[in-house]
Amino acid sequence: MSTVVATVAGICALGAAGLLPVLATVGLRWYSVPLAPLAGAVAASLAATASLTFGGSLLDWLLGIAAAAAAGVCALLVVRPELGLRGGPPGPGRGALDRVAGIVGFLLVVMACAWSLRGLRTPTVGFDARSLWLMRPGWFLHGHTQLLVDMRTRDLVLTQSSYPPLLSASVAVAWKITGIHTARLGVTMVALLDACALAAAALAVVQVGRAAAARASRAWLPLAVGIAAAVLLVLVAAGVTEPFLTNGYADPLWSLAAVGAVAYGLQMRSDPSSRAAAVVLVLVAGMTKNEGFVTAVALVALVAARSIGMAGLRGARDRLVAPLVVAVCELAALAWWPVLMKAIHARGATSTFSASQDLAHRTDAVVHGFSPYLHVLVLAVPLALLGGLVLRDVRRRAEVGNDLWAWLALVTGLVAVASALVTGSGAIGPWLLSTAHRITEYPTLETWWIVGVWTVVAVAGLTGSGADDRSLRHAGEAAVVEEDGVGAVGLVGSSR
Amino acid sequence: MTHVGSPAETHRRGPVRTVLVTVVSTLVAVVGLVALGGQAVRGTRTVDVQLAHRTVHDASVDDAFYACIDTQAHSLVRPGQTVTLGGTNLADVVTMIKGFGSWVTVADPASSADVVLTLHDGSAGPGTCLGTTVVATTHGPDGRTVVRVGTGAQVPGQGPPPAPPL
Repeated sequence: MSTVVATVAGICALGAAGLLPVLATVGLRWYSVPLAPLAGAVAASLAATASLTFGGSLLDWLLGIAAAAAAGVCALLVVRPELGLRGGPPGPGRGALDRVAGIVGFLLVVMACAWSLRGLRTPTVGFDARSLWLMRPGWFLHGHTQLLVDMRTRDLVLTQSSYPPLLSASVAVAWKITGIHTARLGVTMVALLDACALAAAALAVVQVGRAAAARASRAWLPLAVGIAAAVLLVLVAAGVTEPFLTNGYADPLWSLAAVGAVAYGLQMRSDPSSRAAAVVLVLVAGMTKNEGFVTAVALVALVAARSIGMAGLRGARDRLVAPLVVAVCELAALAWWPVLMKAIHARGATSTFSASQDLAHRTDAVVHGFSPYLHVLVLAVPLALLGGLVLRDVRRRAEVGNDLWAWLALVTGLVAVASALVTGSGAIGPWLLSTAHRITEYPTLETWWIVGVWTVVAVAGLTGSGADDRSLRHAGEAAVVEEDGVGAVGLVGSSR
Repeated sequence: MTHVGSPAETHRRGPVRTVLVTVVSTLVAVVGLVALGGQAVRGTRTVDVQLAHRTVHDASVDDAFYACIDTQAHSLVRPGQTVTLGGTNLADVVTMIKGFGSWVTVADPASSADVVLTLHDGSAGPGTCLGTTVVATTHGPDGRTVVRVGTGAQVPGQGPPPAPPL
């Protein structure tokens, strides 16, 4: 079996595991296609954690989790048949033009992602990929007893083996079902998961264009710009994440998944479908790497806060309970692996924080180390300020979330990573030299996504003068709901 | 509840406001699209570096090196044997983890290992992986120490392989 065929088999296996839960929660949407393998990867991660916790093989647990999820979906459809696989509110637009835009946007984003993976023609396997991400899959196939030894023994110097398991577990599934245990297959699997996360994040921008077009007099313009911005963002992201996009590193996956989670959970219209997509992407980010875990925890809190809003805080029970339950479930799933690492005394699970370091010097070094990779902020901050001051009504009409949510998510991720560097005990210079370009991928990409969304919103502003009373009424209602959401976390809203 | 952006207020938007929205929309859209386009071109060039001859050569040598020591380790460890990665050189231990850490059965404690694997870094020659060979140390039933050298693969040249990006 060739690596290409094995990769397709691996992705299809993950897609099969994640398909039903995604269809049931996200619905029949174009962005469900890349989300299905990612949900399968989450299932693989949970399977690896369960295997280490309780014993049993990774594949048995994956089959069990996938079967349980499928049974749960079927049971839900029996109890609540009105939900159906097409459940939830309809998509943003209604006309034939909108449907064509959905198809064209999906195809162009997929083509751009495929084009961005051309680096796979070079058989590069990154240093960390070979020493950690594509080495642990073999451990996950060893069996429970040996896996415990592998994770705990101090004779192995590898302290990073306690990192979250999603990526290695997904590769282990591909190795197991194909019988091909090569780093090359690992790299191609990781690259395709990266592409899925990238496609999902980019398709959110297409959705923003579709939502904006639904209330525009010249609908084709926001649709076209939404698609163009999504395709351009794919190419931008490939440049930001290479060579790690195609050499087996974990950084692109958690970064792209976190960007997607922000897009669906905090930037797009808040509906059950987009919130479900955000859940999948948050779990992917948090189960992939430690930096992703910290960022994911923050995103869980932000998405829940937006969903609850002021109405939930003022006692609207339906606005309060469901988001809290979802958030608690997400946090439990995210926390399982790190808690387990502590419980089994895994190598590398102990904290390396050190308060005795020169914090001022380290902070200065981090700021200078990060700044070459964050130049896009110079563009995005004034653009967002201008948009926030002048295009608020347009943004509301396009049903795009308040920009402050995305900026909060960006700052949270940036502070989380910077804090780890500042308070860590490793020599700051070499640490920054070898990691700054990778660990700034999330804030860099998030900033570009903010630019992309504002671009689509701005185009909607050029076409919005013909909006009718119905859309204006809708805009007014959306504004009230959204301002409540922003007020819930005490931000300075855009109220006049 | 704040009635921000209410329909009535939106209807009151004057001509100045409309012009301002149009101008700012145009500015943001143009700047955003130009920036995205420019960065997309840069991104495409970054990806193209992965296809450069030098990158392909380095990746191929790196791949061949680790495949070589993997094959040599397979020639030294029988199924079911426990292994410890020996030696005092941290770089060698990391190289071994990268080469065959995924499939060896690590012994716990290390002293109970059936086989101690180490790397011998010497000069380039036949039977070596860029000058490196995998060496297995075992203890026979009579207590005698047996040292064997890995076989089955070689990569001509002198190591270490080109460093991949960190």
